Amino acid sequence: MRPSIKDDFMDDTIAFSKNHEEPLWFQKMREEALSHASELELPVFEKINYRGWRLDRPKDPFATATRDNNFDVPDTDNLLIQNGDQTLTNKLDPKLSEQGVIFTDIWTAMKEYPKLVQKYLLSTSIKPTDNRLVALNLALMNGGAFLYVPKNVKVDSSIQSIYLQDNNQKKDYVHHVLVVADQGSEVTYLENFLSQGDSADNIANIVVEVVACANSRVHFSALDQFGEHVSTYINRHGYVGDNARLDWAIGLMNDNQVVGDFGTDLRGEGSHSEAKVVAITTGEQVSGIDTKITNYGQHSIGHILQHGVILQSSSLTFNGVGHIVKGARGSDAQQESRVLMLSRTARGDANPILLIDENDVTAGHAASVGRVNEEQMYYLMSRGIDKPTAQRLVIRGFLSSVITEIPEKEVRVRLTNMIERKLINGQQK
Amino acid sequence: MSTLEVKDLHVSVVDDDDEAKGQEILKGVNLKMSTGEIHAIMGPNGTGKSTLSQAIMGNSAYKVTQGDVLLDGKSILDMPVDERARAGLFLAMQYPAEIAGVTNIEFMRAAINARRDENDQIPVMEFMKKLDDKQAILDMTDEMSERYLNEGFSGGEKKRNEILQLLMIEPKFAILDEIDSGLDIDALKVVSRGVNSMRGDNFGSLIITHYQRLLNYIIPDQVHVMMDGRIVKSGGPDLAKKLEDEGYAGLRDDLGLDVKLTDEI
Ligand SMILES: Nc1ncnc2c1ncn2[C@@H]1O[C@H](COP(=O)(O)OP(=O)(O)OP(=O)(O)O)[C@@H](O)[C@H]1O
Ligand SMILES: [Mg+2]
Repeated sequence: MRPSIKDDFMDDTIAFSKNHEEPLWFQKMREEALSHASELELPVFEKINYRGWRLDRPKDPFATATRDNNFDVPDTDNLLIQNGDQTLTNKLDPKLSEQGVIFTDIWTAMKEYPKLVQKYLLSTSIKPTDNRLVALNLALMNGGAFLYVPKNVKVDSSIQSIYLQDNNQKKDYVHHVLVVADQGSEVTYLENFLSQGDSADNIANIVVEVVACANSRVHFSALDQFGEHVSTYINRHGYVGDNARLDWAIGLMNDNQVVGDFGTDLRGEGSHSEAKVVAITTGEQVSGIDTKITNYGQHSIGHILQHGVILQSSSLTFNGVGHIVKGARGSDAQQESRVLMLSRTARGDANPILLIDENDVTAGHAASVGRVNEEQMYYLMSRGIDKPTAQRLVIRGFLSSVITEIPEKEVRVRLTNMIERKLINGQQK
Repeated sequence: MSTLEVKDLHVSVVDDDDEAKGQEILKGVNLKMSTGEIHAIMGPNGTGKSTLSQAIMGNSAYKVTQGDVLLDGKSILDMPVDERARAGLFLAMQYPAEIAGVTNIEFMRAAINARRDENDQIPVMEFMKKLDDKQAILDMTDEMSERYLNEGFSGGEKKRNEILQLLMIEPKFAILDEIDSGLDIDALKVVSRGVNSMRGDNFGSLIITHYQRLLNYIIPDQVHVMMDGRIVKSGGPDLAKKLEDEGYAGLRDDLGLDVKLTDEI
């Protein structure tokens, strides 16, 4: 019999935990998760088989991170840059610190604000028992961050992070982010996962929890750039309280196989979420994205908009799930998923799923999988624009209905540049 | 001076299911023009005027089965569309495409920059100045240029926008396919003013129209009549007036042609 995950990692986990001076409650959470991980189910992504990706069999999560500073540092007052468990930069506008805003690595947070972290970590938005990969994320977490915005504090400027994922060595990446917006607060958070190096093949297990308490407003943006040498599981999940609003803008600009689980629970009455996802896939890449919003609260609103572009022999599956539970009267669930295929060997899939268990609601969906419009290409080229440029214009046009909906100009610009780069790379391959 | 020459051009429509089965639409078109000249083509519906313009531009839906198209004496048939455009051809289309998410401005800049070296792209100020000048000629506002390419444009606005692109790109030869259809009387004058502003030794145009009225504003050097895939008669501006009076049936009978016109019973 193969040695169990538990046997493999228990000693290292406890050593790592002690080494990072984690509080005992957290060390116990890790042990518990590790002990029971293999009893939990793996998450299911419709039409995606990721068994061969090794996501449930991590290796060397606790190796020491190497350094490689090959990236652009955004010009902002509120910034956290992490390379695994090492914090390279951490700054926060003093005015925000004075108001009680917390933005640090997860270990500092556990040490300095144990009550807060313990209250929200894997308790409200995501549970350690949700599935095996979440349990492994908790057990083997080797990097993480905590953002807390106190009651009624409104943060004007954005809070940004860069999380470096290292493929210069054999080290699986297990990262956890916890964002809590307390009652009546407002915050815009932007995270950027970025791979470094290409000498080792790794997996990445990312779990991001967002708790939007009553009357808060959270705008969450993510730009994911996992490289060619990493297979990735990303779970971003939000809890939305009474009259709170949580908006997502997620740009998936990865170069390798990814399963993404983006879920939002509209628990509060009048809670609201807009989830926008843009993905570009290239090469032989396989991506499966589930975006799900569940309306529990009465008069809650959940809208999903996903657009994807598939180049070469890559494949992209968008599953959109709008679920209105019994009792969520007056709720609204809408979704639109569109996929554009640029080559004969590209494979795309858009599956809208509406689960409605309540009568007094509104719901709708639209989905399409199509190819680049030849008439548009001809028109652009008839003005002298070469084929790759014309293609990029058509694609940008296609993605713009999602991008223009992102409220922060900075995120729009960064995402647009990233799309341009990813497309140019994809076209050259 | 540049020349555009169409020689014994035969064109079939590409049939997606069966390539051999394409129907022949152009049956030997001959036409020669130089920069500095304006030529008009008139002819009944369905005789192949748009087909001729699309075949010259290089639309892959149309297949040249015989003959040639020469720009300055060199065949362009092997060139893809974008190369033909950069070589100096422009086609104002009868039905321009709509592209959401791409603004007119960024499209026109891309088109201009496609003709320039990568290290010598048009400076923003220079571009905006030129755009202002050309918009003024066409009574257009910034508001339209900032909108998405042709998206939600009225028929007349689309035509005007085609001419704006013409003025911005400044090709050697422009084929204008029914640029006057759907225009109100004032717009017709404005669009004509735009085309006339291009007239000169370095610009030639082939204007496809059904109405002699346009040719009162843009006075052609030559008028050609096309029927059933061929040019059956050429002449001066008077020919257009004669057609307006007598119709195509009269001309056909004068020429003793055996052609069925769409609107005949
Ligand atoms: N893409 C196509 N597929 C099939 N048939 C076509 C296609 N394009 C043109 N044809 C046919 O070829 C003939 C000539 O069409 P064309 O559009 O060139 O006529 P036209 O002279 O421009 O007419 P109009 O004055 O109505 O614009 C018509 O019978 C038309 O149906
Ligand atoms: Mg026509």
